[in-house]
Amino acid sequence: MKSLASLSLWRIIILILPLVSLGQTFEYGWPDNYDKPPQCVDIPVDLRLCQGVGYHQMLLPNLLEHESMAEVKQQAGSWVPLLHKNCDPGTQLLLCSLFAPVCMERPIYPCRRLCENVRDGCSPIMAAFGFPWPHILTCDKFPQDDMCINTPNDTSTSEPNGHPPVCPPCDNEMKMDVILDHMCASEFAIKTKIQEVKRENMDRKVTLQKKKRTIKMGTLKKKDLKKLTLYLKNGADCPCTQLDNTRNTYLIMGRKVDKQYLLTGIHKWDKSNREFKKTMKKLKSHKCPAYENVFK
Amino acid sequence: MDVRMNQGHLLLAVTLIVCNSQLLVVANSWWSLAMNPIQRPEMYIIGAQPLCSQLTGLSQGQRKLCQLYQDHMVYIGEGAKTGIKECQYQFRQRRWNCSTVDNTSVFGRVMHIGSRETAFTYAVSAAGVVNAVSRACREGELSTCGCSRAARPRDLPRDWLWGGCGDNVNYGYRFAREFVDAREREKNYPRGSVEHARTLMNLQNNEAGRMAVYNLANVACKCHGVSGSCSLKTCWLQLADFRRVGEFLKEKYDSAAAMRINRRGKLELVNNRFNPPTGEDLVYIDPSPDYCLRNETTGSLGTQGRLCNKTSEGMDGCELMCCGRGYDQFKTYKHERCHCKFHWCCYVKCKRCTSLVDQFVCK
Repeated sequence: MKSLASLSLWRIIILILPLVSLGQTFEYGWPDNYDKPPQCVDIPVDLRLCQGVGYHQMLLPNLLEHESMAEVKQQAGSWVPLLHKNCDPGTQLLLCSLFAPVCMERPIYPCRRLCENVRDGCSPIMAAFGFPWPHILTCDKFPQDDMCINTPNDTSTSEPNGHPPVCPPCDNEMKMDVILDHMCASEFAIKTKIQEVKRENMDRKVTLQKKKRTIKMGTLKKKDLKKLTLYLKNGADCPCTQLDNTRNTYLIMGRKVDKQYLLTGIHKWDKSNREFKKTMKKLKSHKCPAYENVFK
Repeated sequence: MDVRMNQGHLLLAVTLIVCNSQLLVVANSWWSLAMNPIQRPEMYIIGAQPLCSQLTGLSQGQRKLCQLYQDHMVYIGEGAKTGIKECQYQFRQRRWNCSTVDNTSVFGRVMHIGSRETAFTYAVSAAGVVNAVSRACREGELSTCGCSRAARPRDLPRDWLWGGCGDNVNYGYRFAREFVDAREREKNYPRGSVEHARTLMNLQNNEAGRMAVYNLANVACKCHGVSGSCSLKTCWLQLADFRRVGEFLKEKYDSAAAMRINRRGKLELVNNRFNPPTGEDLVYIDPSPDYCLRNETTGSLGTQGRLCNKTSEGMDGCELMCCGRGYDQFKTYKHERCHCKFHWCCYVKCKRCTSLVDQFVCK
């Protein structure tokens, strides 16, 4: 009698164990769906957003539902200029945890605090270029537990900024990569001189001289080009040495938001500068990522 | 002596008939493609004919389609597997839980009964094939199809782009119809017979499964402007998540129509007070067998040994699941990972939590 009961119990235990392990597998594996699981691939060298992020492989599709590497590169390209602004130390980590997520058994999302820090540090700069904080980076949807990505040396204390911030479109390195990235992120680029700079509410209104040469036409039309007036968004009081000097010729980049043209970048047209000359030469052959190609 | 010889011959004849019957049972279903996955698709390119003939479970017409569309077979197998998994999910708390009994007949003799459960199984399997083939088209895996060519929906906002590579639901539907229904269309049963009724039932349920995938496919959109903005938005036709298809067909299962065959060889409602079924409804011709006890004739596995939920009053509750026979209760240790933490970069470290849980098993 005892032996029979014991045998029955063991049989039941053996029967149940696979179910328990299955449960465990389900809990920590990818969610139960019928699509192919994401593949673990090397981060390509030309995914410049995520070079030096701290790991070398990523999941594809990523956490933003980009399905091909071409799509990842194309969408990540418009974020590279933000990295150059150094608005928050966690910027690259936040973006790459979504664009090029780490290869794990289950997806690891960025922590909400990391997202909020980057958002608070970077959204004023994005606003200066006419970009709202995008829906894909809404911080509320990210986890707050320990199973998420934070900056490795996370210190809650934020140092107060001593000096006033430079105007984002004016705060650019004279470096080829930076200029080309901004060129691609802008809709048009022209060579011209500044005629007048005036305050207008929270913005600064920049009137250009009549004589202009188009470097990149983009969506700009010829009749609009003649009477072009650019706005430095939320830039009434921030310092911009370029706008103070109206005698120089500048490479000016911009984009249209609603009915306004926003200044997105301004560089002194300095032929004596070797980096600038190299950039202008490179510009002739440089191709920006074409958005339509990914979906056609 | 003569009488004994006659008896011997008769016995041999009976044995042969029984063996033949068993063979028919064994070689019944293309679902077996799900149980024996095709590991190397490129083998079909090298030696196409022999491999098609070696696949068990295909009817003559299906074998011919295999030879014509060799690269499709992997995805038919995947589709069948998807269908079976979804069936097991939808029936996980039922007495009959879509268990597979072996790799050839897959579900066993229970599929010989023209029950509601059989209706659901045929529908969800056909749906799985539509799903897998449509997706394979989009991913460029099949030589005879590509991205969806569905027309731009009229209610799509004008500044949104219609493009991208959509799931080719139209092709998936048409191919699944040819392949899955091939088995039924090559049969020639006498009009009005029980076998004819079953054939018509299968055709109806296969179609219902295919139509479910076709109708649930929807428009998916993606914002891909600068910095993730919606200044550029592209939309395309996309398959619904297959769980939605399963749930849709489960509702159809709950409202399936009881049918019988008339003298003109058409299925008609047993109870004509109900509305006649549409092309998207499930139909059945036999009452469900008793799934409570193991029965070799019906193919029922019974509920003995099944886990049940003591506190539930639904089908997964011990009273209903165990059919009133009672249940055994015992405690078991449950080990699971807990307090997981992600460490930079990059690994996850978890602790191991143990808890003592009650388990209930049908007698």
